[in-house]
Amino acid sequence: MSALYDLAVIGGGILGSAAACRAAEGGMRTIVVEQQTLGSGASGVNAGTLSLQIKRVKLMPYAIKGHELWERAGERVGFHKTGGITLAFNQREAELLHERMALKREAGAPIELITPARVAELEPNLSRQVVAASWCAEDGYANASLSGAYYRTLLDTVGVDIRERTPVTAIDRSGGAFELATPTGTIRATRLLLACGAWLKAAGALLGLDLPVRARVNTVSVTERGPALVGTVIGHATGLLTLKQKPNGSVLIGGGWQGTGSPDEGRSWVDPTTLLPNLRLAMFAVPGLDRFRVVRSWTGFEANVPDFYPLAGAAPGIDNAFLLGCVRGGYTIGPYIGTLMGDLILGHEPELPLFDPGRFVTTAAAA
Amino acid sequence: MSDYDLIVLGAGPAGAAAAIKARSLGLSVAVIDEAPAAGGQVYRAPSPALTATQPDADREKGDALRAKLAASGAVLYANHRVWSLTSGFSVIAIGPDGPLTLEAPSLIVAAGAIERHIPVTGWTLPGVIGLAGATVLLKAHGVLPGRRVVVAGSGPLLLLVASKIVAAGGEVAAVVDAAPHTGWLARAGAMLARPDLMAKGAGWLLALLKARVPIHSGAAIRTIHGTDGVEAVTIGPVDRDWRPVGDAERTIAADAVCLGFGLLPATEVTRLLGAEHRYEPELGGWVPAVDASLQTSVPGLFVAGDGAGVRGADAAPLSGELAALGVISRLGRGGDLAREATKIATDWHRSSRFGAAMSALAMPPPGAAAMIAAETTVCRCEGLSRAKLDAAIAAGARTLADLKATTRCGMGPCGGRVCGEAAAMLIGAATGWDRATVGQPSARPPLRPVPLAAITGAFDYDNLPIPAPAPL
Amino acid sequence: MAGDLRIGSAWARTVSFRFDGELLTAREGETLAAALYAQGRRTLRMSRDDSGPRGAFCFMGVCQECVVSIDGRLTEACRTPVHNGLVVESVR
Repeated sequence: MSALYDLAVIGGGILGSAAACRAAEGGMRTIVVEQQTLGSGASGVNAGTLSLQIKRVKLMPYAIKGHELWERAGERVGFHKTGGITLAFNQREAELLHERMALKREAGAPIELITPARVAELEPNLSRQVVAASWCAEDGYANASLSGAYYRTLLDTVGVDIRERTPVTAIDRSGGAFELATPTGTIRATRLLLACGAWLKAAGALLGLDLPVRARVNTVSVTERGPALVGTVIGHATGLLTLKQKPNGSVLIGGGWQGTGSPDEGRSWVDPTTLLPNLRLAMFAVPGLDRFRVVRSWTGFEANVPDFYPLAGAAPGIDNAFLLGCVRGGYTIGPYIGTLMGDLILGHEPELPLFDPGRFVTTAAAA
Repeated sequence: MSDYDLIVLGAGPAGAAAAIKARSLGLSVAVIDEAPAAGGQVYRAPSPALTATQPDADREKGDALRAKLAASGAVLYANHRVWSLTSGFSVIAIGPDGPLTLEAPSLIVAAGAIERHIPVTGWTLPGVIGLAGATVLLKAHGVLPGRRVVVAGSGPLLLLVASKIVAAGGEVAAVVDAAPHTGWLARAGAMLARPDLMAKGAGWLLALLKARVPIHSGAAIRTIHGTDGVEAVTIGPVDRDWRPVGDAERTIAADAVCLGFGLLPATEVTRLLGAEHRYEPELGGWVPAVDASLQTSVPGLFVAGDGAGVRGADAAPLSGELAALGVISRLGRGGDLAREATKIATDWHRSSRFGAAMSALAMPPPGAAAMIAAETTVCRCEGLSRAKLDAAIAAGARTLADLKATTRCGMGPCGGRVCGEAAAMLIGAATGWDRATVGQPSARPPLRPVPLAAITGAFDYDNLPIPAPAPL
Repeated sequence: MAGDLRIGSAWARTVSFRFDGELLTAREGETLAAALYAQGRRTLRMSRDDSGPRGAFCFMGVCQECVVSIDGRLTEACRTPVHNGLVVESVR
């Protein structure tokens, strides 16, 4: 007879780990089950941008809290508050920028519009073709590669068991407990949280849930180390560029350009036809990049549902099961919303409201 | 719309043979290679500057290969570096005239091998070069690695490089072979399958003995000394599992070191395209899983030569021809080729035995991780010592990806191609896992560092296909 | 290390190039890495991490140790043929 946990979390990314930590702090005997290794999915391969300027208006309060948590994690996650500049290169982009930043500012982000002259002062190596720009002093970045190592320490500290390289192949219910079948044995728990990112749809299906989860395939590239070019986080009015230079001199280029592949196929690929405009946009914004070489481009899944708001709450129709994922801006918001989820599982009222998965018509096929 | 029936990556003996065979049966074929001329590493064309040095057997074979490839009608894109590929297949390269994209329904990857390295203290000093690099210097450039050279590591390249240095008038201060004497004897059966190659090896050995070159078997470098470059080398014995044992060290004056521990199949392309791989120590490590026609798990993707498993230059052309027949059959062209394929396969298996035995001889046993000292730099690009990597492994890193995430090992410009095997050995040493369990590194584009300017070229901002912005 | 490591003397035309301002010669068609190595210029740069000297290692475009700067662009010396008037700077 295997041990009975109070909570089993499927998915060892930021969301699942943060929820597991909070649950364990609240006294629950908790286990995290991860099909690969901690932080090896989207949590570890995203571009690490912490920018309020690219967060959705309705998620702004969560993003501001997320920034606070990453700042507290500090050096352990390579946190840097550098400020961020969002650029517009033509009139159409300038209008988009003005409209969007005004709403984000209303939602609480300390964003201000700045002149092209001010941009040139702040970042002399940026393109001189800027026609409008915004600035947010709270923006910065952390090193997403360190997510796994960071949460491993936190999970160890609060006594959460970690089972890596352990895919869950079936979920049964027996005697008021969930039984997770894995190649290395059954894991039993009275509560279950699915927080497995792009694999949420597949995991939901094991519970008989039909979740409308899809995955985007975001592309990130990094250059080798080079001379200092920019100090802040650079964005584009459309949101299709994020760029920052790490203290070691390497430049990280993202922006959500789409690769190919899917969670079902088990992997994703860089699409050279979208990589090209991504890199061109970067080069246009920072012409000095022409002296750099790209050493690696990669892709990661970003799960979403049709309204692009999180799935965060009780699994519809299944007692003691919970869902957490599809958080747009999940790297920024993840540590915070994961904690809220832990509170919900502990039976506490979360500090900010969660996002009930019941808003999507789902049927427990088994019911 | 395809540009060719077949694209061959690599113009070494396997790739050239594949292209020539496919052309002879009527396919349109492009061959891409990053070198200025066909020949691969083994038959690398001499630098155009090297006009009148002594031609040797390899040079003659290379010249014949280049002439046959040129006459075949295959289009050779020399000096082109492939940096990305997509299924189906698109091959994306950068050449002297800028970007090049070619498409074809079939792809034969004949990318050869890369050298396996086990780091040693001082191996970052100028004057320490790879054994394979030494063959490039000697063969293509007519340049000695040094005046007084220590040749160290494992496998057949030790004798080849040392004998070439001696033949060119250089001095070999020592050959230091981690494998025990008996290692060679244990493989004698397979070597006798190819008396000609055996004789070649014996010839190298004889030349070294004649030149009174000290040959230390069951030994390895412990430290390479020097300030601005190599000045001396300390060697010491290793046990059968290649763990340093005892304090019977000796220090040898030298101005250069040639270092390498055998060859690994270059599998970046097949990994990038998502083909299945399996671990075959007799073939140099991870190899693509293939059927009898050398097709991988990705339809239309074939492999040949050392990239399919290190079997050596003599087996390579046969595997190239076999893969070409596989391509032709798959495309439904060329009639019944089964009998010819069977004959080639039989020859290929026979000629593979020698190369595979050599490959196995070079393969480090698990204990070899003990050759790497705590302070030794393992990841040269990022300056990471074994101690730093061991600390990350102790903190939970279990895969090469974990190690990269937490330490940046393999995140530099070489992309882990130099340090990856050593990093995997360290994970294995700490966990007790075998090399197969530790797994492969992920392959991502670009396959080599590419200048941003070379990818992006000239463009007009207004023509960038910028999608609709994300929801507000 | 002194002297020239080239074997024999049957070489084609000599060309001249600059490495960090110093005027050096090479045989036309030779790669930059081979030309520098052959005449004892084995240190191509200093490591950012340990400040130690670094030079060409693999000579086949894999290890990136021999990267130099030509016209401000990072280039592998082992894949660059020397031509007359080539100006090469070490990477700092």
